[in-house]
Amino acid sequence: MYYPEQRHTLAWATVRRERLLPDQSIGTVEARNGQYLNLRDVVARGRVPARYIFVEATGFFRLRNETELVDLMLVEIGEQVAAGQVLAGKQATKGKRLVSPVTGVIVYVGQGRIIIQETPEEIEVEAGLTGQVVGIRPNQGVVVEAFGALAQGVWGNGRRLIGPLRIEPEDGLEAIFDDTIDRPYAGSIVITRRSLKAVSLDALETQNIGGVVAPSMDAALYERALDMDVAIMLTEGFGDIRMSSYLFSLLEGFNGRQTTLDAVLPTRWDAGRPEVFINLPPKAGERPPEPRMDLTLQTGMTVRLTRAPYAGLIGQVIGLPKTPQLLDNGLRVPCAQVDLITGGKVMIPLANLEIFGK
Amino acid sequence: MFANRSGSILAADLGSVHTRLVLFDLVDGSYRLIARAEGRTTSGFPFYDVNVGLVRAVKTISEVTDRVLLNPTQRIIIPEQPDRSGVDYFVATASTGRPLRTVMLGLVPEISIASGLRAAAGTYVEIVGTFSLDDTRSEEQQVNALVKSSPDLVLITGGTEYGAMEPILQLARSVQLALLLMDRARRPVILYAGNSAIVPQIRTMFDSMTALFVAPNVRPSLEEEYLDGAQLQLGQAFDAYKATRGGGFDTIGQMSERGVLPTAQSYNLIVEYLGRAQTDHGVLAVDVGSAVSSLSAFVNGDVNTIIRTDIGLGHSAHNLFETTSLAALERWLPFPVSHDEIETYTRNKALHPESIPESLREMYIEHALLRTGIQLLVEASQPIWYNTAQPPLNVPLPSFSPIIGAGAGLTRTGSPGFTALLMLDSLQPEGIANLQVDPHGLIPVLGALASVQPEAVVQVLDSTSLESLGTSFSVSGQPRTGKAALKVKIKTENGEVVEQQVDGGNVWIYPLDSGEKAEVEIRVLSRGTSIGGKGRIKQTFEGGTAGLIFDARGRPLTLAKDARGRAGQLPLWVSQATGEPLKELDERWFAPPAKPEKEAEPEKKPAPKPEKRARRGRRGKNEEAEQETKNDKEVNELDDLRNVLS
Repeated sequence: MYYPEQRHTLAWATVRRERLLPDQSIGTVEARNGQYLNLRDVVARGRVPARYIFVEATGFFRLRNETELVDLMLVEIGEQVAAGQVLAGKQATKGKRLVSPVTGVIVYVGQGRIIIQETPEEIEVEAGLTGQVVGIRPNQGVVVEAFGALAQGVWGNGRRLIGPLRIEPEDGLEAIFDDTIDRPYAGSIVITRRSLKAVSLDALETQNIGGVVAPSMDAALYERALDMDVAIMLTEGFGDIRMSSYLFSLLEGFNGRQTTLDAVLPTRWDAGRPEVFINLPPKAGERPPEPRMDLTLQTGMTVRLTRAPYAGLIGQVIGLPKTPQLLDNGLRVPCAQVDLITGGKVMIPLANLEIFGK
Repeated sequence: MFANRSGSILAADLGSVHTRLVLFDLVDGSYRLIARAEGRTTSGFPFYDVNVGLVRAVKTISEVTDRVLLNPTQRIIIPEQPDRSGVDYFVATASTGRPLRTVMLGLVPEISIASGLRAAAGTYVEIVGTFSLDDTRSEEQQVNALVKSSPDLVLITGGTEYGAMEPILQLARSVQLALLLMDRARRPVILYAGNSAIVPQIRTMFDSMTALFVAPNVRPSLEEEYLDGAQLQLGQAFDAYKATRGGGFDTIGQMSERGVLPTAQSYNLIVEYLGRAQTDHGVLAVDVGSAVSSLSAFVNGDVNTIIRTDIGLGHSAHNLFETTSLAALERWLPFPVSHDEIETYTRNKALHPESIPESLREMYIEHALLRTGIQLLVEASQPIWYNTAQPPLNVPLPSFSPIIGAGAGLTRTGSPGFTALLMLDSLQPEGIANLQVDPHGLIPVLGALASVQPEAVVQVLDSTSLESLGTSFSVSGQPRTGKAALKVKIKTENGEVVEQQVDGGNVWIYPLDSGEKAEVEIRVLSRGTSIGGKGRIKQTFEGGTAGLIFDARGRPLTLAKDARGRAGQLPLWVSQATGEPLKELDERWFAPPAKPEKEAEPEKKPAPKPEKRARRGRRGKNEEAEQETKNDKEVNELDDLRNVLS
């Protein structure tokens, strides 16, 4: 039994997704179990801890003993202060007074200093899916169940966006450069079947494009892509790899539809999966199937190939040899025989296959 | 509770990519490996639960052995029932999951911090910040950095015994302040391993704030380093951290006799056992994983383990590239490469960590990463082997036998000779060594088993459960390439006699199966060279899946400085080690790598005015359009074909 990697590309499926506050934040859940949600509904609100500012008082007041500061304090720990507000002094209105350099909360007084935490950033988590709450994660967020089309990628830059899905112009993403103030792709999620280059990222930024789904990207742009506000998802990987015709056709069919692009950044310790989800209205009495997640590799299955020279190609498993096979490079590994839809039968290491479209 | 039990044992090792499961049972009064299974670790999408992968593996073993091992709730049945369902023991180890986020604090980077880092290298940690007296940041910046890094552990070192006290207390006060500002539930554990004279003050500072571990000073004097105590405490901190994590570890921990133990601890334990069982040589085990790699060695009566979370061939492939240099990788490549090519390769490998190179070019890149990763592990281990912070340069590897390799990149080449070659290249042992591999991840599970059924470990190790590749004979010094370096005479048990001359710069393998023995007579011909200091050897040796391996390339192994030169070495050695025909390299590979386009460096690109950018965009677009049109035609033809066939 071999359980290959699975990357879902489904035109009609039931999905469940967690919508949670970031790890660092402290917050509350605002949706209840069973509640129906729209894309933009807020399911949780929280605050991200902000920077600490040290205000040195010993030198300012020429204190002989650090403990003398307590007697000079005009605000208390936990108190909200505004920038310019007096923090300490013999009197609040005259004499030598220490003022707050920032707006924030007093969190510590001691060692001859006052520590202020700047006002924390307020954050909201949107549902991102039109569906129903089927689970609550206390203080963190919810689990939403929704129906629609799903296309998973391999890499994202950590951004999430809800916007209309648009297919790139005939001449490619770079053709969106123009001199007009009309920016027809602003805020939208653009699908391109070409690899992203530096000029593509320029186009995304200057045209205020909200997100992009591309097959691949020049690896040298990795850090720049992480810094961008535009949500970026790659379906195949880094380098110059084209998007599979099947995936492009699927997404093309949803041109103009409101779409959620969750460009999850996979890390070494958290192998998250970026994805595009397009909510679709339920058909009368019909509940779409859930993605199958426990499939073993069988002959007849449609698979996607993940490594050069076949990266991104699709084929059908026509044989599963019982013994390891010798590759052209000299390695001998367990393989499947795959009939590529572009023609040709090839022997592919099992580790380089993903079950496709289940 | 389990003292009366003495039967079947199920042992699991949860790696970043693979979950391996082994069933041991008593056969004629002795423990034997009955069945094993391997599957994908399910710590990531879509399950985020390692238990799913474990259950799959258990089901595979159930099918193979026709034994019921799971109850209806998918828990392992413990103990074994009269109907032979279930097992008496279940143990588990893990190297998957996020390591301890660790902030390192010390007085001097080259002294206490360096020792602290070496102590931390003994467990699964990720260094997320370093603070020392050399730090030019203000205290405010340091405190903010410490809070933002959200560490699980702060390791405080510094001050020799009876040495500096106030500077380390000053740094510790900043940590105390940072902890004060953090939510109590998110405060890191403190491990203090500095000047013992200030332990009382350290206790006063942190005892009421968070969990505090105190270990002996890692740097009692400038010349001495003591890491064992800090490593022990770090191991305890790791266990406690893992137990609080979800992702299925809690479920597995409940079923396991000893919770979920770190995989590397098993290597430490088994290498120590093997080391103490003999006196002639040290023992070395190197495991190159997907996210984490480790090297355990028994040297001079002591065992030590280095774990590196930045060395791996899958999840950590790009971190490995960042840790090393392009030049270091190129030493192992028979063609020139660009930084971009390696960056693209390693980024993609991190996206598909389990994948296997299919092209010849990618195989060389993969193995260059593997060899470089192992060399980094050796370099990191040397200060411990030689008990000095600054080991001598170009020092040879201590005498090790056996040398054990683990991890899919090393053990799954499909050719024992190829695996042996990779081990010889990256470790460069001298003299005579038995090379072994652990393709099924037995060492991790045996280590976990040791605390439950030590006799099972001894019996399983004695029953040749590791795969022996054979015996290697490596020439020290520099034999002249193409000139006779060794004269070898092999007399097998069935009387067959083989004589062979091995030239300098070459590898020769005589296929002698595992369990078979042969009398080997070697005469070292090249002046100034030897095999482990000897010019002549006559002794009986055992074969292996590769056989008897004669490495006449010299030590240190000399690789040509240019790619053309290496193209005459590396493919030849692969061919000699595998017995496969020499694989010719594509002549186009020797073209100098293309320099990155200017446009790929956005930070250097001046911000153009919108109108100019638009014009340049169009001009660029027109130029690119021709190429795009050409490419599109090809792609469209391909896509049309796909559509017809799909």
